[in-house]
Order: sequence, then structure tokens, then C-alpha cells
Amino acid sequence: MSVGAAEMLPSAGGGLDFLDAGGQIAARSPLQLFWRRFRQDRVALASLAFIGFVVFLAVAAPLVVKVLGLPGPNVENSNLTNAFGSPLGPSSAHPFGVDALGEDVMSRVIYGTRVSLEVGILGTGVAAAIGIFLGVVAGFYRGWVDTLLSRMVDVVLSVPILLLGLGLGAACAVRGCVKGLIQPGIGSIIFIIALANWTYIYRIVRGLVLSLREREFVEASRALGASDARIMFREILPNLVAPIVVYSSLLIPANILFEAALSFLGVGIRPPTASWGQMIAQATPIFTTAWWYMTFPGIALLLTVLAFNLVGDGLQDALNPRTAR
Amino acid sequence: MIRTMRTGALAALMAVCVSALAACGSSSSTTSSSSISSNGIQSPKTESQTGGKRGGTLTVLNHEDFEHIDPGEAYFVIDYQALYATQRPLFSYKPNTFAEPSPDMASGPAEISSDNKTVTVHIRHGVHFGPPVNREVTSADVAYAIERAANPNVANPYFQGYFSSIEGAEKASGGPIPGIKTPDKYTIAFHLTKPNAQIVLDALVLPLSAAVPEEFAKRYDAKKPTEYGNYQVATGPYMFKSNSEGKVLGTGYQPGKSATLVRNPNWSASTDFRPAYLNEIDIKIGGDTNVIGRQVLEGSGSVQNDAPAKAIVQLAYEKFRGGLEISPGSGDHYIAVNNKQGPFANVNMRKALWAALDRVAMDKARGGTLVTNVMTHFLYPEIPGFEDAGGLAGPKVDYNEHDGGDMAVAEKYLKLAGYPSGKYTGGKTVEVVGSTGDPASEDAEIANNTLKSLGFKTKLSLVDQSVMYSKYCGVPAEEIDVCPNVGWVADFGDGQATLDVPFNGKNIASTGNPNWGQVNNPKINAAMNKAELLVGKEAREKAWAAIDRELVEGAVAIPYDWDKEALIESKDVAGVGDQWNVGSWDYSFTSLK
Repeated sequence: MSVGAAEMLPSAGGGLDFLDAGGQIAARSPLQLFWRRFRQDRVALASLAFIGFVVFLAVAAPLVVKVLGLPGPNVENSNLTNAFGSPLGPSSAHPFGVDALGEDVMSRVIYGTRVSLEVGILGTGVAAAIGIFLGVVAGFYRGWVDTLLSRMVDVVLSVPILLLGLGLGAACAVRGCVKGLIQPGIGSIIFIIALANWTYIYRIVRGLVLSLREREFVEASRALGASDARIMFREILPNLVAPIVVYSSLLIPANILFEAALSFLGVGIRPPTASWGQMIAQATPIFTTAWWYMTFPGIALLLTVLAFNLVGDGLQDALNPRTAR
Repeated sequence: MIRTMRTGALAALMAVCVSALAACGSSSSTTSSSSISSNGIQSPKTESQTGGKRGGTLTVLNHEDFEHIDPGEAYFVIDYQALYATQRPLFSYKPNTFAEPSPDMASGPAEISSDNKTVTVHIRHGVHFGPPVNREVTSADVAYAIERAANPNVANPYFQGYFSSIEGAEKASGGPIPGIKTPDKYTIAFHLTKPNAQIVLDALVLPLSAAVPEEFAKRYDAKKPTEYGNYQVATGPYMFKSNSEGKVLGTGYQPGKSATLVRNPNWSASTDFRPAYLNEIDIKIGGDTNVIGRQVLEGSGSVQNDAPAKAIVQLAYEKFRGGLEISPGSGDHYIAVNNKQGPFANVNMRKALWAALDRVAMDKARGGTLVTNVMTHFLYPEIPGFEDAGGLAGPKVDYNEHDGGDMAVAEKYLKLAGYPSGKYTGGKTVEVVGSTGDPASEDAEIANNTLKSLGFKTKLSLVDQSVMYSKYCGVPAEEIDVCPNVGWVADFGDGQATLDVPFNGKNIASTGNPNWGQVNNPKINAAMNKAELLVGKEAREKAWAAIDRELVEGAVAIPYDWDKEALIESKDVAGVGDQWNVGSWDYSFTSLK
């Protein structure tokens, strides 16, 4: 059995009508309750819609580019740069202008959503999975298991992760590392993100499990003969969904920015794959003659990160209504 | 190959424009290729070397720092630039030539014995070391300068490459070399084990031949690494500012910050061809190249030493054309392809890639026709033999005819290579290792896309330029198939200095391999080994031009860019650039207006 069962709330009639007999009392699931609260947050809703749009762009990038009549993201055209090799600016054929290779910036921004979402969501997913598993185990067993894992977390937290990212990105740039286990590009970025971020989720989960394991429903499960694994992952874990969802939603934009930073510093996504961070880096030396090359990927990055952050805030409010706004 | 300033010239720092976007620059510049004009642009070939105004202080803005200021250690454009104002090698180039060295410390042309195994040089009378040594320079000082190059503490990077044929040089470690004789105070002779006198003579333009006073330098050369650079004694018109003990470090050179060159009080204009107009040269080190470029163009009394950013070159051309100088013959860039194994061991595959490559696009990525010429063979402009080898148009072979790439010709060679569809169907994923930064990464991407258009699957990796050379392209065991960002700058104006190291099979090494494509064609190797021994400008030109044509015939690498160096100066500077040394400002000829 888990906590968080359906909450009894007044039905639409208001007043004290709900006290009347005759089936006027509505039972709502936690999901329904969450949605009722979440949809009142218009900023979060708008942000969610924007994220949906970004996800659509990522999934349907080839189609979108084709419908818009744009060239593919890696179609080079030196005729679209001037005599000094400077790219030409926005035009009806290339609404966001082109880059130094004559590649369409809008097309690359659209394809760049793929990298950002892959890294943001996959990186966060892997980090969350590791953090949740180890956090539940540490909180449930306590003792030496907890001590060992928690000291390990302390060690990982003391690693300067950007420097590690730069080092791994450079060292694994050509042949990969650990016998090819860490491959350059998205693979190594996801590895670094997972390595860095599982610790935060671990700490949250561990703390909550330490508290939950003392609750009656755990005791009841144990009395009924449930195994440790069942108690941890079928009884306790469902109670952690809300904080995990909230924290993960806030990690996604941080990870998108981390990818952009690594790509900006030249150790992230490898060309010719389009990545917003990489585009901003390439645009930096020619900003004075090609402002559009930095501006549009920059705006895309800003809006996407902002949207994820606002949705994260909305989730926090909706899933934990006791939190003051 | 001297290290050029292009390395890492563009720092990846986020530019922030706080004003309206429009204020950050024009977005509508659509200067077409045809509208590029050389009108009003300076060139070392035509600039006056005389009539400058005497006096004043030139401010030099450098993004990069010196590597070494010791003439025995230096092998970098910026180092050379200061050293050729403070030191006098036996021979050196005047600003307008990269082909004809002039006697500098030497009093006249060198003498080569009839068996081509002895080079004799007479040195000038009346040239004095700067403070604190102050005495007259003798041939023993030149001998010591060259001998110390073999000292492991000095570790000169080119001594063994050009001077190993001097008797005893191969075993030298800093002490006297039996093959270097000084029969009198003003004569030095080099006795060689093989008849390659011409290349030894040519290499005397390098700074290791600048006199070093043994009695003063020996204590510093005993340290590892040598500290002589910090106490260097000048022979040229300028000297690094120093204290009373001659210490430069901390006085005239603050690493990472600044350097100051002042007049050498012991220099006599009557012994030198340099006019030395300026009183002082203040070198400021550090800063973003875009910012430096604007400071120079919009400021006064200053020049930029690093290769300006593309945006700055455009700005200079459009608004400050009088402050723009273009120096041709500043090296080349080509794609090294693995001649030993993999798909490009087949000459027809190399020709296919050559034919398919859009060299115009490659050069546009580097800044366009103002700073590049499409490379059509391997001797580059201003190197003797260039015209013989085909000039700008290059040899007339079908894979070289279309600068913009020709897929039909590429398909022809793919078919000859055994791919009847005209596309590569061998299934191998080609490993491409290029360099990060602008414009190298863009060239790497174009090369990568060209490979894809030929049917290859590719794996493109971009790493720091030094890593690209030291860990991948210069290590044959890594078996890299394509290195799209390699390039060469000759140490001096000679075909051998341009072609031998990167294309002679004898130079293939397990690490630090400068023959990146592992070119090892017995016929070409034999021709190079023979040409190395030739004496006389004309004979060498013809021989190396013929070798160049063989290299093109074998498509040993895929050429795309002959560099022209852009230099910028403030409006009140009468800068004179050097034709050699990758086209950098010559402090000894530059003046203020």
C-alpha cells in the first residue's frame, strides 16, 4: 500500500452541498489533482506548450525543414558568403541567415533541438536512474551501505565537473575512452552529465527514504513478508515521484546549458552535427559581421532553458502545494 | 617548418554587444568576389624601404606571447620578428624578397668550394655587441652560436635538419664542432661530409647563425634549459631593454605581458642595410584578436602582429584600406591523405578527392581571395621554382583544372580505382582528424562533406592543433586516413625547404612525423636526394619544380590554400612588412608618419 491515496475534495457545487448524501462527493486521483493545480499556472502551461513545440521540431526536424523550404543543416554553399568569407544575413530564403560555410542557420537551429533534448532528457534520465537506485538503497539499508555510498557522493561532488568535461572531451575526442565505452560527442556528454548529476538526486531520495522507511505502511509490508526489493521499489519509491519529477525537470535545462557550454568550448558535439552551443562558439569571432549566427541559436537556447525552468517551477507548485510561492 | 601565428589565434571568448544589434556591425555587407580590389592595399613587394621618418615609439599589439627570445631556441614567427631586429644572422632577407638573402653579419656572398663540401663566409668588421659585452663581433662568436645549437640545453629545432652534414655535427652536444673552422677573426668555414653546401648556406639566414659571445653566454648555456635568452646580447639595431647586468627578463620582457625594444647603442648604421627608423618598440601581449584589430585600426601608432580575425580584415578593407597590407607567399594548407594504407593508398582515389574538393569554398572559409590563392601545386608563391612548377594556375591535369570541384572528374578516377558506380563502395569508415578553431574547423567540415559526396562514411574529429599534429596526424601508428588542416611554411626560400620534409619518405618517423601523408615514393625520394646536392639558384629551381610536378602527378596530398598574410596598422604608421617570415611587420624598416 502506498500513501497519497485519493483525496476527498468538494465537487463543483461549492458551499456545503457536498455534505449532502446522494453521491455528490468526487474522488480524484493524485494525477487529476496535480493537473487541476498545474493548469492554473498559465506561465507553466505556456512553457509546456513551448516545450511541446520544441519536441515536435526535434522529432519532425527533416519534415519541418522541408516544409519551410530550407536546405538541410549540412548543405554548404560558399555562394552565400561574401568575398571575405563572411556569411550573408537573414533573407526570405534564409530567415535566420547563413553561417560561415553557407549553411542555413534556421535549419541548423531546428536540428539543434535534437541535440539539446537528447542530452537534456537522456542525461537527466540516466542521472536520475542512478541517483534513485542508489539513494533508495542507501536510505533503506542505512549503516555501512549508506556510509559508503554517501562518501562516494562526497568524492563525486568534489570533482570540478566542467574541467572533467573538458578533459574527457579532449582525451576522448578521437578514439573514445575506456576501450571505446565513452565515445566522443553525445555519448561522452551524457556520461559526464550522469556522472555529475546522479549525486543530487541521490541525496534527495536518500533523505526521503530514511524518513519513509520508518512509516507504518513499510512496517505493514514487512509484516506481510514483502522482500526488501519490493518494499524499496514498489512501496517506498512511488512516494518519491513528486520530488523526483520536480528535481529532474530542473536538471534538464541545466544539462542543456552544460552541453552548450562543452560544445562552446569545443569538446562537446562534433561537427557537422548542429548544436546550439557549438554554433554560438563558431559565431563568436565573426559576431561583428554576422550577428544572426550567434543571436538565433542563442535565443533558441534561452527560450528552451527558460521554458524547462518555468515548467519545473510549475511542477513544484502543483506537486507540493504546501510550498509557498 | 616555423610555427606561425595562426595557431589558436582566435580565442573562444563570448563576445557581448551591449548596444543594439545594428551597432555591432553591418549585416548587409555583400561585397562580391569580383569587387575585391588590391587598390590602396600595401604590399612588401612594393613598399619603400627608405625615406621613413626617424624617431618615435611603435606600439605592437600581440595576442600571443613569445616562445623563445634566444636566437638558438627560437622557431616561431613572433620570436623571429623581434630577433631580426635585435640580432644579425650571417644572411637575412630584406622585406621585399623571400628568394634572395642579403649578407647581414656576412660582409659579402659566401664562397662554395668546387666540390660543394666547404662554405666560407667572411664577416663584417666593426660590428659590436650591445651592452654589457660591447666588444667587436668575431667569427668565433658565430661559430659558438652555431655550436651551441647542438647543446641539448638549447635544443635548436632545425640544427640537425640543415647542419648535420657539417663534420662532427651529428655527434655534437654544444662543444666545438670539428667541421666549423675560424681561420681568422673575420672568416668562418663550414666543412661538410657531403656535397650539400647550398642548403647549409641557405640555412644561414636562420637566427642560429647570429653571433653569441661565448665568454658571456656559457654560464647561461650550462643551465637546462639555457637562460641565455634572458640575458641575450644584441648585434642588431635594437636590443631588448635590459638592466646593467644585461638581464632582459623582468626588464625588457615580462612574459605574458609586454616586451620593450630600444636602440642598441653599439649598432652602427654603416655596417647594416637596416634603416632602423624607430626609437622604441613597445610590445603588448594578450587580448582578443578582434579587440586588438579595432584598437589598431581606430587608434594611432600601433600595429597588430597576429593574423587579424576575418571580420577585422573585412573592416580594414572596407574602412581602413590604407592600414591594410597583404603579404603573399605566407605558406600553404593542404589535406594530408594516408598514402601508405587505406583507400588513399590508391593514387586514383587521391586524384578523385583532389578533383571533387571545392577549393574556392575552402579558401573562402579562410577569408577569401584577399588572403588566399587557390593552391594548385606544392611550391608556393615567392618560393624559387614556383613559376616553373606551374605558377598560380598549376599543372594542367584534369583533377586540378576546376577550383570549385568537379564531380565528373572525381567519378572518373573512382572508376579507375575500381568503383564502377563512380562512388566509393569499399565500406571503410574514413577517419578524419582536423583542428578546432576558425577557419580550420570549417575547412575540415568542407573536406568531410566532400568525402561523403564521394561515397565515404566518415568519422570527423576536431582537436587542438598541437594535439592534431602530436597525437594523430604526426603518428603513423594511429592510421589516420585524412588530416584536412595541415600546412607548411618554409624556413627559407628554397624548394628543398618547402618540399623535402613533408614529402620525402626518409623523414617518416614514428612520432612527430612531419610527412603526415606518409608519402614514400622511391622515384620522388631519389629525385629529392639528388636535388638536395645541387648548387646554384637556377639548377635548384628547375630540379625542385620538376619534383613538384611529380608530387602533383602522384597526387600525394590534396592542396587547397596558398596563404597571403594580412597585416594591419594605424593610419599614422608607415609599416613595412616582410615578404618572408609569414609576412610579419619588420621593426627595422617600419616608421611613424
